[in-house]
Amino acid sequence: MQSEESIVAALRALAEEDAELEAPLRVEDRVRKAFRRRHAARKWRNGLSWSLALAAALIVVIFVGMRDKQHPAPPRAKEVATRPPQLAVADPELVKIPPASVPARQVRRMAPKSNPQPREVVTEFFPLLDVAPPFERGELLRVTVPASTMRRVGLPVNENRLADRVYADVLVGNEGLARAIRFVSYEQ
Amino acid sequence: MIATDQALLEQALEGIEDAFTALYRRRQGAVYRFALQMTGSTAVAEDVTQETFLALILHGGRYDEARGTVGAFLYGIARNLVLRRLDRHPVVELEVTEDYAGPEDLLENLTRRESIEQVRQAVLSLPPVFREAVVLCDLQDSSYEDAAAALDCPVGTVRSRLSRGRAMLVRKLRGAVCTGRSIECNQKSL
Repeated sequence: MQSEESIVAALRALAEEDAELEAPLRVEDRVRKAFRRRHAARKWRNGLSWSLALAAALIVVIFVGMRDKQHPAPPRAKEVATRPPQLAVADPELVKIPPASVPARQVRRMAPKSNPQPREVVTEFFPLLDVAPPFERGELLRVTVPASTMRRVGLPVNENRLADRVYADVLVGNEGLARAIRFVSYEQ
Repeated sequence: MIATDQALLEQALEGIEDAFTALYRRRQGAVYRFALQMTGSTAVAEDVTQETFLALILHGGRYDEARGTVGAFLYGIARNLVLRRLDRHPVVELEVTEDYAGPEDLLENLTRRESIEQVRQAVLSLPPVFREAVVLCDLQDSSYEDAAAALDCPVGTVRSRLSRGRAMLVRKLRGAVCTGRSIECNQKSL
């Protein structure tokens, strides 16, 4: 018993000796920098996500309005045929699948048939949500965005071309959230 | 009014840096000392402190009030990081010499500095399961409940490990007094 009391006293002395010890200030600097980086990225992703969702929604409204104007009462079969393909994905991880496995939206080309068709080149998908609700169905929407958007996901962009418009495919879930984006270019 | 750890954590998770900084400043010392007393290395203690708070930034949303305090949550993260390092660089256990029926009061037989350093080395030589109980309850002054939450075990297990850890320390330190030599921990550098 006395031994245990002695050891408790000895441990208390050690605790008192160490009581003032703290991590060096450089550790605080590092973790605060990490905190800022983390939350800056989250804010940006949330902002971009909402902007793209809004842009995608506007495009859908305009597209549907124009189509209705041109074809006041289209037959049902035709309507189905002109809808962009839907992605039936059970697992949100599949958003990261290389784009070749995801059916791309058909782009109407107005050029004469004799001209060679440009080849579409796409990047991988970049997620726009930190934590996304489960993904069941969604649509790929083709939009144009400033080239500076590519830089925000870490792609290199020439300084002089930041304001140029580039094509992008936005994966929008049925709930209206823009979940991922990929960028598109054309090669002859 | 002083904000609770939990309130600071909630604000930090919303991106309020001042709250995160306040929580860091309030808790970093305890995390650093825990890692130092578990490993004996200031470099490892620094790394563990940094990684603990980085983990809090990334996974702080997993904190569950029902399972313990924020302090215990941080100790739990730090403990996992420490054990990972100890797995890679195990501390060789101090050889236990025979019991010595000499003076009971260790502090009377050693100068204060020597005794503190010998106690530190003896703690470092304990097997990790007993060492973490001694460090949390005796050196960090955690409650049994907080220690149990950090160690992810029942309170009764904490009490029993603490008791056995103290008994092992008594044997080790009696041996040191008996032979009149400094305790050699044989601790490999981490």
